[in-house]
Amino acid sequence: MAPPAKKNLGNVLVIGGCGFLGHHIVNLLHDTYTSKISVLDLSTTRNRRPDSDGVAYYNGDITSISSLVPIFEKAKPDVVIHTASPTLMGAGHELYRKVNVDGTACVIEACQKTGVKALVYTSSASVIHDTISDLKNADERWPVVPPHAQHEYYSQTKAEAEALVLAANRSPTLLTCSIRPAGIFGEGDVQILPPILNVHYTNRTGFQLGDNTNLFDFTYVVNVAHAHLLAAFGLLATSRASTAILDHEKVDGEAFFITNCSPVYFWDFARAVWAHAGSKKGTEHVWVISRDMGLAIGGLLEWITWAVGRQAKLTKRQVKYSTMTRYYDCGKAQKRLGYQPLVGLNEGLRRGVKWFEEQRTKEGEKKDQ
Amino acid sequence: MVKINDLLYLAVHPNQLRSIIQWKLWHDPVNSRDPDKETENLKQCFYYLNMTSRSFSSVIQELNPELLVPVAIFYLVLRGLDTIEDDMTIPLPKKEPLLRDFDKIMFQDGWNFNGNGPDEKDRELLVHFDVVIAEFKLIKPVYQKIILDITKKMGDGMADYANNAEFNENGVDTIKDYELYCHYVAGLVGEGCTRLFVESKLANAALLQRPELSESMGQFLQKTNIIRDLQEDYHDKRRFYPKEIWSKHVTNFEDLFNPKNVKAALNCTSEMVLNAIQKADECLFYMAGIKDQSVFNFVAIPQVMAIATLELVFQNPKVFTGVVKITKGDACQLMIEASQNLRTVCDVFKRYARRISKKNNPTDPNFLEISIACGKIEQFIESIYPTQDPKALTRQYNNEEEIATPADAKVQAEHEEAKKDILYLLIAVMCTLFVISTAMIGIAWLAGARFDIAFNELRNGNFFPKYQQGGEVAEAIVQQHDHIEL
Repeated sequence: MAPPAKKNLGNVLVIGGCGFLGHHIVNLLHDTYTSKISVLDLSTTRNRRPDSDGVAYYNGDITSISSLVPIFEKAKPDVVIHTASPTLMGAGHELYRKVNVDGTACVIEACQKTGVKALVYTSSASVIHDTISDLKNADERWPVVPPHAQHEYYSQTKAEAEALVLAANRSPTLLTCSIRPAGIFGEGDVQILPPILNVHYTNRTGFQLGDNTNLFDFTYVVNVAHAHLLAAFGLLATSRASTAILDHEKVDGEAFFITNCSPVYFWDFARAVWAHAGSKKGTEHVWVISRDMGLAIGGLLEWITWAVGRQAKLTKRQVKYSTMTRYYDCGKAQKRLGYQPLVGLNEGLRRGVKWFEEQRTKEGEKKDQ
Repeated sequence: MVKINDLLYLAVHPNQLRSIIQWKLWHDPVNSRDPDKETENLKQCFYYLNMTSRSFSSVIQELNPELLVPVAIFYLVLRGLDTIEDDMTIPLPKKEPLLRDFDKIMFQDGWNFNGNGPDEKDRELLVHFDVVIAEFKLIKPVYQKIILDITKKMGDGMADYANNAEFNENGVDTIKDYELYCHYVAGLVGEGCTRLFVESKLANAALLQRPELSESMGQFLQKTNIIRDLQEDYHDKRRFYPKEIWSKHVTNFEDLFNPKNVKAALNCTSEMVLNAIQKADECLFYMAGIKDQSVFNFVAIPQVMAIATLELVFQNPKVFTGVVKITKGDACQLMIEASQNLRTVCDVFKRYARRISKKNNPTDPNFLEISIACGKIEQFIESIYPTQDPKALTRQYNNEEEIATPADAKVQAEHEEAKKDILYLLIAVMCTLFVISTAMIGIAWLAGARFDIAFNELRNGNFFPKYQQGGEVAEAIVQQHDHIEL
């Protein structure tokens, strides 16, 4: 059977295209679409495709409109995919606001000034999550958490930026939508696989916080990239459509949750990571610490380590995070974008862990030299 | 007969005993047969129903009167067919036409069959099959048509398998074959039952538009039986585990029964269990389409038994040495829960999904897939019975301050009340203690107790009376004090 004809998205500019998610979007675009790809990033040295692939790389700062417009004029994008953001743990309030909110406002302005047809924004599933309460099978009807109830500043700025993007829909001709991925992991991730793998490398897999009945969504990065491209395709189709789009088919001005459509029990995910990394252990050695006990120990440790000026090995935040339920229903993306995960959770994990294992071997070799 | 072992078991498992007692005492059949109004012939049919079915006879006999006889006859016809298929002593040239033409036999008055081997457990039914045929002719023609249609399809399917030398020699090959086999022996039953339910208006007609749902119902039960009966079937030289699955874990099928390979064998049953629970959500969906309580019980009870059995066989090495069965107490508990409503059935599914996930082993190659399958069951239940309300959340955020949801308010009120109750209780206890202590101390004082001595001794650090030195010391102390005071 001949492979299906590749789809075209015109000229695509991926902002943050050298970042974790961004470079996976570039790869998927390159492999499965026929499009002219440009990348804009603060620094374009890492995660770069070989020059022969014809991807144009631009160094630029999204918080400066004067930096953006010339690049937009050169790349002439039909589609802009905006993935740039500081990582969840890596920055202070000021930087989050500057990049996520002000930067996104600049991107919107640049799109409007240069006649971009479609803007796809990478939001976060955390915009409806106050970081404390459980979320069970949440979908797009759930309200965005207002600033006074949001405990994570990162999520607050992502929500503000998303609101700007969605408000800019059809102003005047730009079409926008927002992708809200939950728990992205994969090759090159910095937030999910590294800490879980680290627990295995330091031999601390013998603990379980809570009773492990809390379902959690994790999403393989290639699936998230896939959803972005489907969304871009949907926006372009809308911009070409001569008749009005029905409300229940609308993509522009909408937000979409994206997951692997397979929530799993929180510790099962971690154990699957460890198994892929070579752990031969079952669950016989595991010591289960109840949520309440974990919170008490975590609180105590935080005080002690604060007093002696060190970082606690177990924090209340970790306990809360690993005992909370957080999973979504991404039926809307399935219906309107035709989204289905390209890669299953287990296969995604296998690929992700393999990549980290290879990196580790390389680093080990470097050290040996 | 109650065995002494069972009694001992129940004596140390009061919860099990409680479930049995509850079921026997409080179970109120939705409908009951009325044997007085039945013909002798029909009574005979129910006699054979009781004889041939352990799990279905009671739920069938509680069915809505409209369906009671049609379903009972449906069961007996299929049981008759199955008894011919099952019997390895019947030569193929004789067996095949019987299977393929069983629907025509239903029109032969007085047809009986003596060809079963003496060990065939249900041979009696076929020896007296004329009673079933006679009753079959009395039920409504629409029901007759459905029963005949399914009988024909199933007979043909069974005949194909009986003819299949490869299957007889090596058992089931691929997962597709395995599911096709389950379709013939169980999926078709699901289809027939659904058509009977819809025809009698006791189920939503939309179920006919989603045939995959009734298929899943049948597959779920059949796969569970196959997984559980592994050892028994092996003993009878039959293999229903598809080679596509077991060959991933062991080289030869026999290796599953070698204790040396127990880990690989458990991984194999895990994969079988995974294959079975993957469509459990569709079973729940199906049950949502049932309108009549007796029909609901009829379909739900076998389903909850199945998920409980899957949990029991999961990661259980006893599957390779014998047949494992859920205890009588658990069965009663499950029947109580399954004969209520979809919600209680969902609770059972969720509970057992979590138990399966608890036994799930990270060294199992299908570890994560099993977790996903359990999560899928939970997510489906959450989708039909949501526990969170986005509108309430919106209101909560809009009003700035937290407005408790009605359920929360109730819980909070109960909480407050409980706190108050505890306070009152404490005050009452304290008062009582105070009154009793005062009275006791007062009486002791009136009777001449010397608290001043006791206090002084305590102050001197003599917390324990020095018995060994007897009255001498005590006397000295008393005198000492007396002198001071006097």
